Amino acid sequence: MKIDEKVVNYFESCNSPVDKEGYLSKKGEIKTSYQKRWFVLKGNLLFYKDRPGDRDVIGVIVLEGCTVQLCESEEQFAFSLVWSEPGLRTYKFSAEDQASQESWIKALLSASHSYLALLVTDMENKYRDTLLSHSSQLHRPFTMPNFHTSAANFVEAGVSNQTLQPSNILVARVFSKKSPKLQSKKNSNLPPVSTPALPMLEHLGLSLDPEEDFSKMHEDFGKEVKKLIADWSKRRGGDEPTPDESLIDLG
Amino acid sequence: MRFNEKELVCLSRQPSEMAAELGMRGPKKGDVVKRRLVKLVVNFLFYFRTDEEEPIGALLLEQCHVEREDSQTFSIAFLDEAERKYLFECDSEEQCKEWMDSIIKASYEFMRKNLIFYRTEIHRLTGKDPLEQYGISDETRFQVNSGSQLMTRDTSSL
Repeated sequence: MKIDEKVVNYFESCNSPVDKEGYLSKKGEIKTSYQKRWFVLKGNLLFYKDRPGDRDVIGVIVLEGCTVQLCESEEQFAFSLVWSEPGLRTYKFSAEDQASQESWIKALLSASHSYLALLVTDMENKYRDTLLSHSSQLHRPFTMPNFHTSAANFVEAGVSNQTLQPSNILVARVFSKKSPKLQSKKNSNLPPVSTPALPMLEHLGLSLDPEEDFSKMHEDFGKEVKKLIADWSKRRGGDEPTPDESLIDLG
Repeated sequence: MRFNEKELVCLSRQPSEMAAELGMRGPKKGDVVKRRLVKLVVNFLFYFRTDEEEPIGALLLEQCHVEREDSQTFSIAFLDEAERKYLFECDSEEQCKEWMDSIIKASYEFMRKNLIFYRTEIHRLTGKDPLEQYGISDETRFQVNSGSQLMTRDTSSL
């Protein structure tokens, strides 16, 4: 089976968030000795190369369908990635110290796509519940927002034989006014942070002049989030770090 | 580049809601449209010859642009190069939309951004960090702004 190496290399080197990186020793696939490599964890992909600065990746491990386990090894601070089905492999690693071992295990445990999917669904439901209870406080009738990317894609694709719903036209106008970068025909799977706020606002703003109210609310939301983020950044400077709970009781 | 091929092939066999025979054209000059069984599993798009068990290849759906080409056709472009643009021909407009939507939403990075959005909003509305109950508030994966921490707020003024 082929894998598009250029794409994989690009993903490793681009500025998307790195969830964890550092040196680990990995047991060789042919030679059984452990070799020190630089590992980069991004999402559900674990890349490895010789050194941090290297452009080319030696290899990648897709972290789906495996479990993370402590393991018996002649090496210290060892752990493994195990695929339990017959014929599938186990990758063995050894960390530099206990803290690194625990930290890597923790990061790898929550790396799978399915884990994130479950968490997002859970948060989406919580958000829905929060809005419902919030809107009842505001004494407004409330319609559950539909978190779809299709509203955005629909608009930007510019397919002329589509009948646009009024709410989508709204979306189109706000996008063209407020978010110039969205005007390109392309739909990347990296929507700007402002996008998610829109579905909810579509529904809240309907009683008054939709376009004006909608834009204003959109701006207000944006300002609030920015302010919150600024507040948190300031407060974070003066905080005591929360003690790290030990994932594994080795005591 | 080494990768865990067997394990990835095993992943491709997982059941998926998004699996269909589509016309697919590769990114190289001279590539023609071929019927392939295309299957979306997590953030990978696998493509098979219609009668085969093992996929021909796997596309990682991160850092890509999904673009409508015409009413029933969409493309996935990587690295902003025309060079790495894969084309997919669907049987209907609706199917085309459905695939585009699914592919965009399948990206790990897209999902992460959603999570951060929900976390931020829930915190804004309730003063509480919804990830706290799971003990994962500190994980770098879910930070709002590279390391900023969400604190339980005094909401008595709200």
